[in-house]
Amino acid sequence: MDTARATRADLLDPATIAALGRIEVTARWIVDGFLSGLHRSPRKGFSVEFAEHRPYQAGDEPRHVDWKLAARADRWAVKQYEEETNLRATVVLDVSRSMAWSGAPARLTKLAYAERLAAAIALLFLRQRDAVGLVRFDDVVRSSVPPRVRTGQWVRLVAALEEPGAGSASHAADALEAAGRLIARRGMVVLISDLLMDRADVVATVRGLRNAGHQAVVLHVLDPAELDLPQSNEALFVDPESGVEVATTVADVRAAYQATVREALAEWRRSLTSYGASYEPVITDAPFGVPLRRAFSARQEAP
Amino acid sequence: MGFLAPLWLLAGAAAAVPLLIHLMRRRAGAHIEFPAVRYLVRAEREHSRDLRLRNLLLMILRVAAVLLITLAAAHPIIRMAGAGHAPTALAIVLDNSLSTSAIAGGRPVLQQLQARAREIVRRASSTDRLWLVTADGVVHGGTRDAVLDAAAHAEPFGGAGDLRAATSRAALLARAAAFPAKEIAVLTDGQATSWREPLALGDVPLHAFMPAAPAPANHAVVAVRAIPARWTPRGAVRARLLASDSATYRITLEGRTLARGIAARDEEIVLRAEPPERGWNAGTVELEPDELRADDVRHFAVWIGAAPAVAIHPLAGSFAHSALDALVQSGRASTGNDMAVVPADEATKLPALLIAPSDPIKLGASNRALERLGVPWRFGAAQHGESVVRAVDSTRALEGVTVSVRYALTRVTGAERTDTIATAGGAPWIVAGARYVLVASPLAPPATTFPLHASFVPWLDDMLSQRLSGEGGIPQEVAPGEHIARPAGVEALELPEGGMTRLTGDSLTAPARAGTYFYQRGTARVGALVVNAEPSESELARLTPQALAVKLGTRAATVFTDSTAFGASVLTAAPQRPLVAPLLLIAAITLLVETLITTPARRNVS
Repeated sequence: MDTARATRADLLDPATIAALGRIEVTARWIVDGFLSGLHRSPRKGFSVEFAEHRPYQAGDEPRHVDWKLAARADRWAVKQYEEETNLRATVVLDVSRSMAWSGAPARLTKLAYAERLAAAIALLFLRQRDAVGLVRFDDVVRSSVPPRVRTGQWVRLVAALEEPGAGSASHAADALEAAGRLIARRGMVVLISDLLMDRADVVATVRGLRNAGHQAVVLHVLDPAELDLPQSNEALFVDPESGVEVATTVADVRAAYQATVREALAEWRRSLTSYGASYEPVITDAPFGVPLRRAFSARQEAP
Repeated sequence: MGFLAPLWLLAGAAAAVPLLIHLMRRRAGAHIEFPAVRYLVRAEREHSRDLRLRNLLLMILRVAAVLLITLAAAHPIIRMAGAGHAPTALAIVLDNSLSTSAIAGGRPVLQQLQARAREIVRRASSTDRLWLVTADGVVHGGTRDAVLDAAAHAEPFGGAGDLRAATSRAALLARAAAFPAKEIAVLTDGQATSWREPLALGDVPLHAFMPAAPAPANHAVVAVRAIPARWTPRGAVRARLLASDSATYRITLEGRTLARGIAARDEEIVLRAEPPERGWNAGTVELEPDELRADDVRHFAVWIGAAPAVAIHPLAGSFAHSALDALVQSGRASTGNDMAVVPADEATKLPALLIAPSDPIKLGASNRALERLGVPWRFGAAQHGESVVRAVDSTRALEGVTVSVRYALTRVTGAERTDTIATAGGAPWIVAGARYVLVASPLAPPATTFPLHASFVPWLDDMLSQRLSGEGGIPQEVAPGEHIARPAGVEALELPEGGMTRLTGDSLTAPARAGTYFYQRGTARVGALVVNAEPSESELARLTPQALAVKLGTRAATVFTDSTAFGASVLTAAPQRPLVAPLLLIAAITLLVETLITTPARRNVS
């Protein structure tokens, strides 16, 4: 079992996986590993599903004729199928400057982690014949890829993920609204962000998405150092986005800071889940399999 | 609380370091880019009161840790009550002076003091260090049983001893011991004469016991002397008594009663005698026994011999002839050849009273005769001019005597010890030694007024009987335990009860028991050592406890007259326990708490 775990990319150290190749490659490994770890599901093989027969009409494509039925009953009928995609999902990725930060050189930045996670989620969804789109934002919506299930969607998504970002602020509300607009009918929006932004705006937007029938999943990306404070004595802490400076003694405020972070995370969870959204803190030293499973679970619960 | 290494307390100044860090906290350190500053701001805003309290607590913990560690480094010790007594260096001073042999309450005072000493020693434990110092200066140390045995078998001393020296010695022993508690216990009869001067013992705790009852009445023979020291053969015994009333006395010589009588208070007893005994003899003056028996007998010694048989040379001078005739007629001398009165140049043997020649031309012959006789003096040049004669000892016999002609006396280097009896013009005029007396002027009025002086005949009698008769020498009177020089030529000491003690070295210690001891050379008595207690030891008046406390000379002196209270006051120092381990434990706990406060909480995100 240990050997199996060791060969599953979704359970490896994120930095180790990221060092092995580009996003599109590593995302495949991650998804492959993740899927190999799944138990067989009654919904396995979300391809085109048969629905009913109807009498053949002139002009119907011969490939849709049910030849077996014609041979057995001597009756010409055409197969009717369910819709080609099960779900329309959009990954909303925060690419603001605060995301391009790591608490330790050996760790991925929050953005690098989030990009790989977004790619893996998109690929996972695409493997399930779901339409997946991408919205990248910082203080504005930087790029938008509408949800598609076509073959080239994966390439477009990867290309979009490699575009530059890192604006000086984060406005997730606009991006979420844009994501909602990209999904024509009820679907799923996955927000990947460090959530260093106004909670009320985000929650209000998520509420709107939920009211519109969308499933909302919020993956809160955190560097371990943001949970514990960097190891330092006297320091001047500078916010890379706002430029706000705070001078403090780490040892003195660490406990209070940790309590505050715990409280903030609880507030996010409480606010988002009260409107039916899923909320999951994601630590950048955790294997990708962890948030991936959370997103997959949300997908299973989606309409 | 005390400290074994108090200098480490100075390191407590290091406690100022966390205090200064707390008060002068640097707010500007490294610049750190940190996206979650908003949480930091919120934490400081929402937890400002907690942070202040936390910082204050941390400062207190750090200061406390530094203080505790420095305190532990100073090796503090505290006294623990109710756990026996601390290991104690206890020096017990037992007054066994003569006065403690007085009977009070039906038994000697010394026995009472011994009982108190044994009670103390029995309360001591194996962790204590004990000494017993007696008034005669003897120190007993070692195990508890050894000290207990010494206390039980302490004998009364024959004299006063030196109680102050014994107490000082005890204080020295106690102070020098590396024990957490040090005490001195003094057991004394409180005799005022033993504590004349206050001591200076520092701050060693001292507990003293003295009997509450007043001292018993005492009579004693406080002085006795044979006059002169050598009888030829007549002499006198002079004695002085200490008595509140008349007392019956007896005077003995070699155990034979010379006289009995009753002496009134403060009356001096004088007994004239011409006993038949010859040589060195021991005598006593005795009183009826009272509460202090030891001072009811006082000893004396006297040399008794026949009147000296003197041959006087025709050239000795008419005045010398007349004086000797007077002595012969009074029976103080006789005509014979035991000794001579002779001009130095005519002398052929000793003993002799040698007179300077009347003619300077005989100086050479005189000096040759002196050399031949072994006399370590030589005549020098004649000196003319009147000079006053002064006696070297306390006698006033030569007052008013002047010298007009004298020869300078020069002592031969390296010769035996000599005495200068009188000086003229500051230079030796009459000198004496073994079996000779030498006068530096002719005994004639042109040279000196001495022959015309009234003191001339008694002086001649004294020289013939005291200086030139027999073996010479006078009895030595000493107190028990006194250190004295060993007389030249003495080989042994004859004890009063018989038997002899060989003497070695240049000095000897007087025996502790009173009595007359005779110096011996070969089988002959050549002198006497008379040992008597100090007269002051017969004065039994006691100090009050308050006065004794002052005399004991320590700030921590307490004097008890109640034996129970005294016993309870000794060996009461509470045991001391080191606080190093508890302090280090508390410091470790303090640092642990400080670490727990400052250690980041485990990540708990779900």
